[in-house]
Amino acid sequence: MDYLIHLAILVGIYLILAQSFNIVFGLGRMFNLAHIAVYAIGAYTTALLSTNLQMSFWICIPASMIISALFALLIGAISFKLDHDYFAIGSLAFSSVVTAVLINWKSLTRGVLGITGIPRPEVLGIDFSDNTNFLFLLSIFVAAVLISVGIIFKITFARCLRAQAEHSHAARSLGVNLVRLRTNAFIISSAYAGLAGAFFSYYINYIDPSSFGLHEMVFVLSIVIIGKPGSFWGVTAATFFLVLLPEPLRFLSISPSILGPMRQLLYSLILFGVVFWKRKTLFPVERSV
Amino acid sequence: MLTITNLRLKIGEMRILNGVNFSVAPGEKLGIIGPNGSGKTTLFNCISGFNIAQTGKIVFRNRDITHLAPSKRAGLGIGRVFQNFGIFREMTVMENIQLALEANHRSVIFPWSKRNRQNKEKSLEFLATVGLDNRADEKAGSLSGGQMRLLEITRAIAFGAELFLLDEPTAGVSPKMKVQIEHSLKKLHDLNKTVLIIEHDINFIQQLCDRIIVLDLGRVMLDGSSEEVRNDPRLQEIYFGTNGHGAPEHSEGQPRIAAAV
Repeated sequence: MDYLIHLAILVGIYLILAQSFNIVFGLGRMFNLAHIAVYAIGAYTTALLSTNLQMSFWICIPASMIISALFALLIGAISFKLDHDYFAIGSLAFSSVVTAVLINWKSLTRGVLGITGIPRPEVLGIDFSDNTNFLFLLSIFVAAVLISVGIIFKITFARCLRAQAEHSHAARSLGVNLVRLRTNAFIISSAYAGLAGAFFSYYINYIDPSSFGLHEMVFVLSIVIIGKPGSFWGVTAATFFLVLLPEPLRFLSISPSILGPMRQLLYSLILFGVVFWKRKTLFPVERSV
Repeated sequence: MLTITNLRLKIGEMRILNGVNFSVAPGEKLGIIGPNGSGKTTLFNCISGFNIAQTGKIVFRNRDITHLAPSKRAGLGIGRVFQNFGIFREMTVMENIQLALEANHRSVIFPWSKRNRQNKEKSLEFLATVGLDNRADEKAGSLSGGQMRLLEITRAIAFGAELFLLDEPTAGVSPKMKVQIEHSLKKLHDLNKTVLIIEHDINFIQQLCDRIIVLDLGRVMLDGSSEEVRNDPRLQEIYFGTNGHGAPEHSEGQPRIAAAV
């Protein structure tokens, strides 16, 4: 049972992370490879506030979301100067800078040693140290995120994002302000990623920079690509599929040193297959005047 | 409505616009013709804000818009129909119209809101005017070239534009569709909208426009009524290069003009 609860918690955290990435990448086709960096910023914010300052859940969660959203402004600034592939490289550079800071600002982050002893939250007198309780708390937030993202996908904001992804000139000729639109997309998406990071931090009780590497970005990217970028239900289903996919491998008598790489290999093969199969429609070329 | 004064634009070493001057009165239909490379689309880009001229001035409804962002210009009432189809192919036909309504101060925050329902109803009404209401839920990319043009023109009307910049609206469409597009453009006349239309087909443009300007080498070479321009011997010079430039380079624009002149 504990194992199933553990899996449900992982699915919950990745649902928030993948759907948040689905807003910028799925709807807006902005190849933001710094998404995992804002997830890390959210995780570190909660870790630092709850361990060093013993801040409550009600401060840590909004703080993680706000600080991640503030960093999104920097990513937004990159997106206004760089387009398409160049933005992907620029955002990757941003992500590398964040990782370098997490590793080297030892007085704050304890570098590669990471932050240990992150306490589980206590909300309204309820202790969430127990995984079942924690899953209940997480489920409330996951439901709120899924409902709000589901709404976002059906309103003007989403239509504008999809329009600018396809033909930014035509979108602007309909009065769409690209700077404001993209900034809002990065802010919303990063705030959700910060929330996912905060829950990750609370759940694992320990974080270090290795949890937020490129492999994690590739995993989230795989979820969105396999689920179909811009598809709410597709990405939801793909999150379940990809998080749970390697689990049966655990029941095979394979050494853990082989199991890890096998999992990565499995993801890579599926990702490669989908990209190859959908190569003509996955990344439509943006049209211009 | 629109006044353009001494507009000059250089991209790299190329002078694209070389001192363009003209003005358009409210409700006027102005045709713009000229050989390929004469600066017609770039002129539209300058008016809609995708290119910013190095010198000169663009005044729209008594407001200097020379350095305004494209989205702000659109908000003032400048609509554009693009040469290479500006519809959103991945969106449904209805969503294309919905976006135009929403972008123009009717944005939807909640999908279940009354405004969203009204916008959908309004979109269907707009689509019905061009016979596309039965394809409202299909992807816009599945439409034929002519239908895409109709959708784009309808979208600009739904957006509430007052000045329409139409860049070759009949390019690449069948003769049957051309008639439908012509009907759609005549509606703009009934709505008393101001229209600037780039076309190669002088017969087509003559039916729609009160006035024609001929652009060449980034300058207005001729400006007058359709009859005046059509009978002006300089028109042939511009298209056939007897003034020492252009004929072989402007091959695409020639045949239709040549047949019509």
